[in-house]
Amino acid sequence: MKVDGFDRGDNVRRVVTTRVDQGAVRLACEGVTVRFGDVEALSDVTVSVQAGEQVVVTGQAASGKTTWLKCLAGLQRPTAGRVLWGDDDVATLTIEERRRRQSAFGMVFQSDALFDSMTVLENVLLPLTKRAVPRAEAMERADEVLRRVGLEAARHKRPEDLSGGMKKRAGVARAIVSQPSVLLADDPFAGLDPVTERSIGELLLEVSRGRTLVAAVPDPVPSLPLARVLRFEAGRLIGGGA
Amino acid sequence: MIRAIGAFALSVIRLVGALGLVLARTVLHLPSLDRRELMRSIVLFGYRSLPLALMAAMLIGSTVVLQAGVYAVKFGARLYTGWAAGYALTREFGPLLLGLVMAARIGARNAAELALLNINGQIEGLRGISLDPFRLLVAPRVVGSAIAITALGSVTFLVAVAFEAISSYFSLGLPLRVFFNSFDEMLRVGDLIGGLAKTLAFGLAIALVSTVAGLRARGGAVGVGQASASAVVLSCAAIFSLDLLLTPFLTRLFG
Amino acid sequence: MSALLRIFGAPAILFARTITAIRRDGVNGRATMVQFVEIGSKSSLLIVAGLAFFGAVMVTIAWAQARKYTGNITVVGPAYFELMVREFAPLLVAILAASRVGASTSAELAAMSVNEQLEALELCSADPISELVTPRLLASLIALPALMVIGTIAATASASFVVTYVFGADGSSFTDARFVDPVDIVCALVKALMCGAFIPLAAAARGLKAKGGAPAVGEAVTAAVVDASMGCLLIDFVVAAAFLLIGV
Repeated sequence: MKVDGFDRGDNVRRVVTTRVDQGAVRLACEGVTVRFGDVEALSDVTVSVQAGEQVVVTGQAASGKTTWLKCLAGLQRPTAGRVLWGDDDVATLTIEERRRRQSAFGMVFQSDALFDSMTVLENVLLPLTKRAVPRAEAMERADEVLRRVGLEAARHKRPEDLSGGMKKRAGVARAIVSQPSVLLADDPFAGLDPVTERSIGELLLEVSRGRTLVAAVPDPVPSLPLARVLRFEAGRLIGGGA
Repeated sequence: MIRAIGAFALSVIRLVGALGLVLARTVLHLPSLDRRELMRSIVLFGYRSLPLALMAAMLIGSTVVLQAGVYAVKFGARLYTGWAAGYALTREFGPLLLGLVMAARIGARNAAELALLNINGQIEGLRGISLDPFRLLVAPRVVGSAIAITALGSVTFLVAVAFEAISSYFSLGLPLRVFFNSFDEMLRVGDLIGGLAKTLAFGLAIALVSTVAGLRARGGAVGVGQASASAVVLSCAAIFSLDLLLTPFLTRLFG
Repeated sequence: MSALLRIFGAPAILFARTITAIRRDGVNGRATMVQFVEIGSKSSLLIVAGLAFFGAVMVTIAWAQARKYTGNITVVGPAYFELMVREFAPLLVAILAASRVGASTSAELAAMSVNEQLEALELCSADPISELVTPRLLASLIALPALMVIGTIAATASASFVVTYVFGADGSSFTDARFVDPVDIVCALVKALMCGAFIPLAAAARGLKAKGGAPAVGEAVTAAVVDASMGCLLIDFVVAAAFLLIGV
């Protein structure tokens, strides 16, 4: 059954000309506050992530990690404060410009965010087909990442037929298939067994070598042995901001 | 083809069975309803729907005059307009349109709430500590929304009649006195009772259908959405079917 | 006043954003077709059955009214046919479509929103409005007039059937088009197009805004069906009044 029912094809008029952005840039938040109704999800967060830096973000559920990651990716508009990509304030970019720069981002979502009406392969192909990557090259890259996350056998299954850990791995595959220069991972190890966790951790580190990686996890984990650890609590940055 | 028909028939039987079960268990629990939950559903489904019902009444009143106006404009039977409008309102348009709007408002709401309780395992949880979820959650909602819709129906009728009078004054140039005279002389208590009986039946149908849809929900956010969507649609279908069954019966009973 | 703003405000803003998105990204014909089939296959049975039942009930009521003073139901047939084409069928089809299309659209989009799929789309270089709202808006714009035609046919057929075989009068008077003029058809078409645009926009506005798990989906669907059906009632009323005021 079709649930989301949009087109997975590439016959949309728009063609993104620059496939991947010029390279990683410095990401920064200046006094960023995000409110949902009366709830303050982020309070006055000022922090920057250098180009090519690899960072772990920790904090309990509802501490603001997810909201912060989405601010960095330009998916969440701050109520107050600025998000900077390089020297540019995200809020001042035109929608076309923002979309073009966003193509440099890949994100593993907390809820996997797989499209229910598509197979695993189609999900992984989507970032490529929407950017008009030639079919043969796209298939090759999708095969490669599916093999890396150990989902070759499940490529024609739909998300509803996958276990939690397999969905997570499919989400990772979709995030890295476009070879993003900024990789954001929101709780990438949730529901994974220790062995898979280690291999996904290695994979994230490997594909983001020389690029920016920001990974949010509830607690520091051995699978991501990174030097810089940011710590959020109740919407505030309480450690690692300097 | 045959398989499809069979599957359809099976799902209809299953639905009717589930409806019957919920109705029967509600009736069984009537003496021991949870008072607080009953009050809560009456307030939530009745009082909170009042603005919507009033707005609907306004539009229903103005629309019905168009129907009744046929006699006035095309046949010069101006003196009868009040009666015809009142009759059409209480017997058909009032209950039908109110029912459809309430299917959206109350049906979706009730199904979504029960689906959430169901998906979060709270209904199972009640069973686990040997409390009957039917007595605590389901029966009060069914009774509460039936009461609420009937009460809304009477208010709606009054407001709609006022708007009928106003709009026939403006669109047909009919003096208010003439409108209410024919209304007064020819409309009988039976018409009002017939209309309220329909409203009550629609209310019960909405409550039962949305409860069943909510309790059948499975699987997360998608499940909640599907439950409330199907509650609305099945309620609408039930209202039209009941309307067809009840109208000849009520016409025979009350003329 | 605030109720009006609540019902029409967000859909109006979404309409403007959709127009901008169409000008930027164009229209995906295949996705629109998929949505059209979706609306048609999901709503036509409900609408045909509902309107057929309504036609039967309406003549039963008319029969009771007619017995009181004109004595003969067939003389009101042509006037009823005009009313059916111009007022009743558009109103009921719009309300049924508001429930059916409004509920399923808001449920789908709200579930996608709480599962972060809209954000995932953005990072796949796809615009959620172009991908999800544009096809639904265009499909519903085409589907509603079509549904209205089949709804009117169903209601009329069942009305004349009931008059002929249940009341034993001349049922063909209920298909007598002598009072129907082009203005009636234009009036019906305007209603269908306006409701056809409004329903998916109202549902999508509620669905896309849903945040925070399964409860938000329930809230979105409840609010969407109420907005959609109230909005259609209001649109119907305003269009009918406007045609009455300009005197046609």
